[in-house]
Amino acid sequence: MSGEGNVKLRLDNSELWGGLIGLGLGIFVIRSGLKLKLGTIHDPGSGFVLFYTGILICAFAATVTVAALTEGGPTFGSRWRDARWGKPLLVIACLTAFAIALDPLGFLLAAVPLTLLLMRLVDPVRWSLAIPISILVPVGMWWLLKQALGIQLPSGTFGIG
Amino acid sequence: MDTLVNVAHGFGVALAPVNLLYCFIGVFIGTLVGVLPGIGPISAMSLLLPVTLSGTPESGIIMMAGIYYGSMYGGSTTSILVNIPGEAASVVTCIDGHQMAKQGRAGPALGIAAFGSFIAGTFALIALMLVAPKLASVAIVFGPAEYFSLMALGLVVLTFLTQGSMAKALLMACIGVVLGLIGLDSITAQPRLTFGRIELMDGIGLVPVVMGLFGVAEVLLNTERVIKRDIIEAKITRLLPDKEDWKASAGPVGRGTVLGFFLGILPGGGAVVASFASYALEKRLSGTPERFGHGAIEGVAGPEAANNAAAGGAFIPLMTLGIPPNVVMALLLGAFVVHGLQPGPLMITQNPGLFWGIVASMYIGNLMLLVLNLPMIGMWVQLLKLPYNILFPLIILFTIIGVYCSSNNVFDVYVMIAFGVIGYFMRKLGYEPAPLVLAFVLGPMLENNLRKSLILSQGDLGTFVTRPISAACLALALVLLIGPLLPALRKRRELVALDEGA
Repeated sequence: MSGEGNVKLRLDNSELWGGLIGLGLGIFVIRSGLKLKLGTIHDPGSGFVLFYTGILICAFAATVTVAALTEGGPTFGSRWRDARWGKPLLVIACLTAFAIALDPLGFLLAAVPLTLLLMRLVDPVRWSLAIPISILVPVGMWWLLKQALGIQLPSGTFGIG
Repeated sequence: MDTLVNVAHGFGVALAPVNLLYCFIGVFIGTLVGVLPGIGPISAMSLLLPVTLSGTPESGIIMMAGIYYGSMYGGSTTSILVNIPGEAASVVTCIDGHQMAKQGRAGPALGIAAFGSFIAGTFALIALMLVAPKLASVAIVFGPAEYFSLMALGLVVLTFLTQGSMAKALLMACIGVVLGLIGLDSITAQPRLTFGRIELMDGIGLVPVVMGLFGVAEVLLNTERVIKRDIIEAKITRLLPDKEDWKASAGPVGRGTVLGFFLGILPGGGAVVASFASYALEKRLSGTPERFGHGAIEGVAGPEAANNAAAGGAFIPLMTLGIPPNVVMALLLGAFVVHGLQPGPLMITQNPGLFWGIVASMYIGNLMLLVLNLPMIGMWVQLLKLPYNILFPLIILFTIIGVYCSSNNVFDVYVMIAFGVIGYFMRKLGYEPAPLVLAFVLGPMLENNLRKSLILSQGDLGTFVTRPISAACLALALVLLIGPLLPALRKRRELVALDEGA
């Protein structure tokens, strides 16, 4: 691996971090397997497969880490070059806010602002189009699910929906 | 004779008005998601999995199957007209299909894609009718060792065919196995990796995982770049290919059909592999390979036939062994399980109405697709003009509703968001989600069969290598694992490696 943005022994080597996260996860899985008891080869216990899968995770993660150190890997900067990285962050924030609001506010009161925000924040759709879509689509979906398919969506503390 | 009686029985089931309606809804939605870039059959099937609960098992599974093969048809439209694959199996169609469209031959390109798909789909169904019952009777003698080895082979094949580093793909598969084991141990009922959360006792749901990794992650990736579409604006005329087109396409359609069908049966294979393999084969067999990439009709006919034949072939391991060969079939397995059914060698004899009904509905669905795709091409083109900034909030909304409806639990919406974020970073760092999802589904079965084999053989690991089918599967898996270490095989793998993400 070579070229622009390719680094070896540097903290912004993205391949290195991928491998290290894998190693951490593998160690956690091995520990969990041991805690659950391995049993014997005649009668494997609940942790048997977890333990050996954890070892495999460590082995593959170590391969990725070693490759990152010897052959190098792209930096985080090069992975996100020319990307509008703030946009996915906005979508994630909207989704998290929606999930938090879903139970207390109910589907309709949470979905209408979510759709409107997503339409306006990422690549703004004009208000005259964004408002009717963000009201009509959630209401239409709610009607279809509740009236036609009999599926109940959360109605929240206000009982709307 | 038995087969004919069964087929007649199947048509009786499939032609019931309610099943015809579900079949139509399935192929219509399938074409729609195939046409629209950014939503694939995986997202659509996950979304509609809860809806299948409202009808009979036949209706639900007929609809889900319709979405799958419908998306194979629809995907070609976007590839040819916009140069963006509507779904992963249509990536290859972009190469020559869009060039044909630029040269004013969009009609014949769309036509040969639809007719090639229909011919291949029909062949795959006839082969499915003949092969599945025979394989099911053989599969009855499979023990836990064979099942374990077959599933291990499926995972290794998928990791072998996944784009990028094989170590990364294997890492993903192992993580998928671990995620699949979360919840109560099926043998000892001991909770595993639940962190004291009652929601995790039954494990993580397939729908939030798939919707997060494929649906939300895809949206996150698309929002960080400005999507430009090169839509062919000229009016599309003459959809029927002429005599010359048919002459050039007959061989590729035939070869693509046979190749696709066999690649579809293989665990870990499927429509995407088949389309790439068919393109490579046609280019190699052609007397004028330099035309490929510049609008060769063979480059559309072969891969389109192959991906549809593979979609039909992929039903064989699921229906006869109960093993899903790819992520889409894993979702279909989910639909069976939702209705309390277990596909496998006994399904054809114990539930013939369901098996033959699905097979017959697929034939009817193929006919519906031919009618849907050609005369309605103008409507699909209009749909392609829908801007992504309007489309993606709706995709997000549909995924949330789909996930919530699958369990009536907000916890699953959190799980979906978490997997969406994980999937986004995985794709950015070059880790493919397909091996993780297939391993997630196969993980519990893999563990169960491994433990059963060890208990039955009293701890003798030799049981996996002394039984011929198991030994053959493990030997092939080993070759594929060691293969990439050899320079010649590594080069070959890089040629066929694919992006399963779309």
